[in-house]
Formats: sequence, structure tokens, C-alpha cells
Amino acid sequence: MKVAVVGFGKMGMLHAGILNILPSVKLVAVCEKTGLIRRFLKKVVRDVCVVDCVEKLSGLDLDAVYVTTPIESHFPVVKSLYESGVRCNLFVEKTLASNFGEAGRLCEMVRKLGGVNMVGYMRRFCVTFMKAKDLLDEGVVGKPVSFRAYAYSSDFFGLKRNSKVQTPKVGVVRDLGCHALDLALWFFGNFRVEDARLESVVNDGSVDSAYFRVKASSGVVGEFNVSWCVDGYRMPEVGFFVEGSEGILNVNDDELAISLKDGKERKWLRHDLGDRVGFLLGSPEYYREDERFIEAVLGRKSVEPCFETATKVDRLIDEVLARAG
Amino acid sequence: MLVGVNPFHGISHLSQERSRIRGNEPTNPEFAARLIGLSVENGADGFMFSVSEQTLSILDVLRKNGGNNGLCLYAIVPYAYEYVRLASVAGGVPGLAKRLVREIVFSGNLGAVASGLNGILRSDLASLVKTYLLYEVSRIRRSAGGKAKLESVLLHQLLTDLCLGLDLEWIFKFYTEFLLRTGIVPGFNTGNFALLVEKFREWKISLEDVVIVAPFNKVGFQMVPSREECEKALASLPKPNVLAISVLAAGYLRPEESVDYIAGLPNIKGVAVGVSKEKHAVETFKLLREKLQ
Repeated sequence: MKVAVVGFGKMGMLHAGILNILPSVKLVAVCEKTGLIRRFLKKVVRDVCVVDCVEKLSGLDLDAVYVTTPIESHFPVVKSLYESGVRCNLFVEKTLASNFGEAGRLCEMVRKLGGVNMVGYMRRFCVTFMKAKDLLDEGVVGKPVSFRAYAYSSDFFGLKRNSKVQTPKVGVVRDLGCHALDLALWFFGNFRVEDARLESVVNDGSVDSAYFRVKASSGVVGEFNVSWCVDGYRMPEVGFFVEGSEGILNVNDDELAISLKDGKERKWLRHDLGDRVGFLLGSPEYYREDERFIEAVLGRKSVEPCFETATKVDRLIDEVLARAG
Repeated sequence: MLVGVNPFHGISHLSQERSRIRGNEPTNPEFAARLIGLSVENGADGFMFSVSEQTLSILDVLRKNGGNNGLCLYAIVPYAYEYVRLASVAGGVPGLAKRLVREIVFSGNLGAVASGLNGILRSDLASLVKTYLLYEVSRIRRSAGGKAKLESVLLHQLLTDLCLGLDLEWIFKFYTEFLLRTGIVPGFNTGNFALLVEKFREWKISLEDVVIVAPFNKVGFQMVPSREECEKALASLPKPNVLAISVLAAGYLRPEESVDYIAGLPNIKGVAVGVSKEKHAVETFKLLREKLQ
């Protein structure tokens, strides 16, 4: 199976490294806009075609393309892939697009042109969240009543206001909070945003922290706290505290715990949840995610989270930004 | 027996919550140096660390208080976390590259600057790798002083495994040959031990010339693809050149229950264990000395 990666930043490198190891996959092309990186790449990787625009990928008879460019460029890149005939099976790093409108237009293209598609919400492949999803579906804590979610990192903690540091233009809700939103949709189904507040910490106008409340169609109510200016989160972390009719469930990237009204308690660490993969690069969830996408392409089956599913996250982010004014 | 660095960087692979509970004390260079000193008194003979401002400060303290005397150093480069973070705040990979170039130029290491210039002009990654290694080695030596011994410079796990994934045979060969020429043992920190051993054989890189740092513990935590495959690859090595990490499975196991497993493995050159409290430093290294030496 021949695969290309568009955008050779940190996520592009990571996926390229994993894909090249997967049986039946061969990285055959990299598309990268930055000339310096392209020049080095041509000398470093053997048997890989290095190009500067996606149109040049046509003719390579690709089976799948990974889009790992900055979020702002997802829409034009994916659109070009479809329009230039390179299109086929696409994996796009989260979030699918910069806004709901763009995401919706990409879904229309999928409906017209077909192909397997997936968006890189990799926490769905993290063993703690996978187990939490199973427990919630099994009703172990009863019917979910409410939840509190967070997505924190220390990436911009401790910076002086208006220092030279530039935060990602898309803001913290789209860059980091999207993971919590995707997991909440996965756990509890659709919901709408009821109230939202945004805060600029690093620069005037940057979106660095956010708080918002939501209500699901099932009646579950939730709160989100998102920030990249929090101390103690060397690695980005997402977590949920879920209150159900029969008990509570606490989960984050590292651990999962339940405490039931009948007095039963249990805790799982990654160690207890079979966190094994065939090749480790970054975190095990990236391998599982890529493996799932490739299996879907080989089997010509749909896979989650697909573009349609991921569009819901883009819709909610737009709602948060609109509610916050 | 090496003192590991994770607690000094505020890292716990068990959970971030655990490192938050630990607080900032282990990240204080004075305190970290004291823990290393205590560990050495109780059997440790080296320090394995990612090269960062934080760990260089610890080496500074050790040099000033004489704690570097005979200490064996195993330095891991680059400190990938810091570079990934810098890439986020400096505008991606190009922004990170610019910042690194600036640091190397201002380091005053003329050999590194010349090699780096050559690398940029000719788009030659080998020259840039050489530049970077010269820069890091000079930083370590400056902080550690002459009494410490730089045993090995190890390629960080993220880089080793990325190069492994991309099948970059030439990087492993270049890295090995360059460090051997400088009299430093080339090392590789990997999360894919069995594959690395297999690839080195395929690429004809002598497994006798390198040190490999990889997780080994009785619950198979981070042993990829499986504990069995890693043990098989370990047994196949020509000599003991593996430094075991995650021997306590990131704190999941107690030292008493994990040490017998390590003691029973062949070809283990040493172990690295992180400590965050004075009591841990004393007890852990006493136990390791008793069981492993």
C-alpha cells in the first residue's frame, strides 16, 4: 500500500515513522512547503519522492494520504487533494478544518467522491479512554448525569504577557480542547454549548484559556476547562470526571478509576490495560490509530472518527467562540 | 548502577498526577545533586540524563561540590521534549532550527560552527548532526568538569525510533562511527529494543561497539512488541551492553519485586533508576547493590 504524507512537521514525521513500519505499507512520498526541509529530506530518505505541492502527488498511484499540515491549511490541502485527482483515502490530523463551514464542505466532497477518511483524534485509541468508553457503555456507573472535562498543558505557562512567543493562531479550544470535545461526543453523544468564556493570557487577542458549559441531547450536562497556561502539565493532558446514577468515573491519559455507590472501587493504570503495540513512537495510541486507518483502507471499510464525526467537533468549537462573543 | 533523570525533570511515566504530587523539590538542582550524592554513597556509580539546562545545572552543582569525582555520565541527546515544546512556541521546525543555530553560534565552539556552516551550505545533514553532537559534548564537559567521565552519548528514544521507523540506516552508521572516533561510546535509547537489535544485525552495525538503553521489567511495561521478544533479543547479544530502564515499570512495581527479574537477565550492563526522595535514594541503591553486584 503506497502512502504519502503532506506536511513534515512533528506530526508528519511521527506518522511517517509509524506508517513505514506497518506491514503492507510503504511511505512513497512527502509533500512539504518549506524549502529547507525539502532539501534535507531529499538527501535523508531513500526511495521517497519529495515534492512541494499536493498536485505533484498525482500520478503516484497512492492508496492513502496523511494530511499533517497546520490546521489553517487542512481545508485547502484536502480540497486540492480531491480536486487534483490525488484523492483516495485520507487521514487528516485534528481538527478537520478551521471552522464548521469548511469541515462541512469537506464532508460534501467525501459524499461525492467516496474513500476511507479519518481524523486524528488519537485519544480514542488511548487505553484508559477506551476502557472508560466500555464502562460507560456497559452502564457500570449507571446513567451519566453530569461531567467535568479538562484539557491542560504547560506549553505557555509562566510567560510574560505580550512576550515575543506566538501561540498557535487557532487558539487553545481548537488546538487542545478539541480532544476533550471529541471524547465527550464519543462518550455522551451530541450536545450544544450553553455558555462560554475565553481568556487571553499570553498575548492580546490570543485565546489561551476557555471555560464552557454544555448540555447533551440525553440530558447530561457538562463543563469544560481548557488552557495551555497551567503549571504541572508538561505533556498535554485530557481528563473527565463523570457522575453517573450509580457512581463516579475519573479518567485521564494515564489512569482510570471508578467509585460506585455500593462501595466498590477500582483503579486501572496503563499497565493494567494491555497498552501494547507493535512499534512505539510517541505514544502507543498513534500506532493503534494508524493501524486502524490502514486496516480500514485495506478492507475498504469506514472507520471512526471519520470526517462526518469530526465535523461535530468543529461545529462545537464555532459554538464556543460564538457564545463567548 | 545509574541514577536516572526523570524525577529531576518532573517526569513520571506512571502518571503526570504523580509528578505533580511530588512537587518541585526534585527539580531543584541542589536537591537533585544531593540525591545523586546519596545514591553514589549507596552504590550508584553514574548518572544518565537528557541534556538540558536543568541537568547541566545539576552537573554544575556536582562539579562545584566535588560530587563529580569518578562519576560516569550517560548523556541522552537531544532533550526531545524541550525541542518539541520549543517548536510549538518558535513557529514549528524552521523556527526551532533558527533558534538552535543561534545557540550554537553563540556557544563559541568553532569546530561546531564550521561544521554547521558547511552543513547548511551543502544541505548536508551529516555535518549538522556532527555540529550538534560537538555542541552538546562541549556543553556537558563544561558543566561536568574533568573529574567526571563522559562514557556515552545516547540518541534520544524519540529520534532513535523515528530513524528506525524511517529505515535511516545511514544515521545509525554515521552516529556510531563519529562517536567512536571521538572516543565516546555511541548509545541508543529505544522503545523498540527487539527491532533495533534486528536492524543493527541487518545493517551490520556492530552490537559490541554500542550501548543500548531500553525498558526491561517483569510486567513487560513499554517492552515492544512484547516482553518475550525483548528477552529473546537480549539473550542474542554478543556481550552485556544494555542499560535497563523502567525496571520499576515507572513506579508500578516495588524495587524488591522488580530487582530479581533484572538480576536474572543476561547481557544487562547496568540499570538506571530515578529517585525523588533521600530515603528512596538510599534504599533503592542499597537494594540494587545487594542484588545486582
